Amino acid sequence: MKYITHKPKLNDVRIWITLSVLIVLPILVGNYFEPESPVLAVTTLLIVGFFILNLVIRKFLYFRAYFTSNYNLLTSKVRTEKEFGISKELMFEKLIEVIDDSKFTLIKANKKSYEILAISKISWLSWGENLYISFEDRGDESIMQFCSATLFQIYSWGKNEKNHNDLMKAIDSSLTV
Amino acid sequence: MSIVVNLDVMLAKRKMKLKELSEIVGVSTVNLSILKQSKVKAIRFSTLDSICEALDCQPGDLLEHIGN
Repeated sequence: MKYITHKPKLNDVRIWITLSVLIVLPILVGNYFEPESPVLAVTTLLIVGFFILNLVIRKFLYFRAYFTSNYNLLTSKVRTEKEFGISKELMFEKLIEVIDDSKFTLIKANKKSYEILAISKISWLSWGENLYISFEDRGDESIMQFCSATLFQIYSWGKNEKNHNDLMKAIDSSLTV
Repeated sequence: MSIVVNLDVMLAKRKMKLKELSEIVGVSTVNLSILKQSKVKAIRFSTLDSICEALDCQPGDLLEHIGN
């Protein structure tokens, strides 16, 4: 099983740029403009709007690429691939059953593209993660691709890895009939 | 795996469909399909008992060990 983690690394210059913008921008805006300034209000509105927009679009499979892209620096991601030796049609149905019985909430299941979107609950550690599961045929094998992505966190506090482990455990135990 | 599940053979003998068996036994069709393909990790005695009851057969009719 391939296990690819996209966590921020301190030597990654992109992380420092993102952090700088996130920290320095509000300070600059706050210092240069009066509290009643429309610029401050617009900036606050934009930040809150962006936050709400992300909360809304997270429930659409269409925005999968946005949340799972390596260029989206505001999200931490964990990707894995696993082969189960079961056809993707059957595994797709199985996954829906497993998610229904798990702590995750099933949002969308597209039978045409064999894609599933589930979300985890909001907790003290995170705003909840998006779980993207897809299936593809590779030779005679069907591969399950899993990606857990945070919403606005560049560090997931181990939640992505926990989601992956919880889902794999749920699948394993569901294979006992 | 060297254990083969002959569920499809028994279903054909009894002229029963997987969905019917699923309703009688109370196991989802997805799980029965995976069982039929011998891809399950384990089978509970209670499930085996229910399937044998529904198909009027013995566990040996369903499970077969194939040597290497």
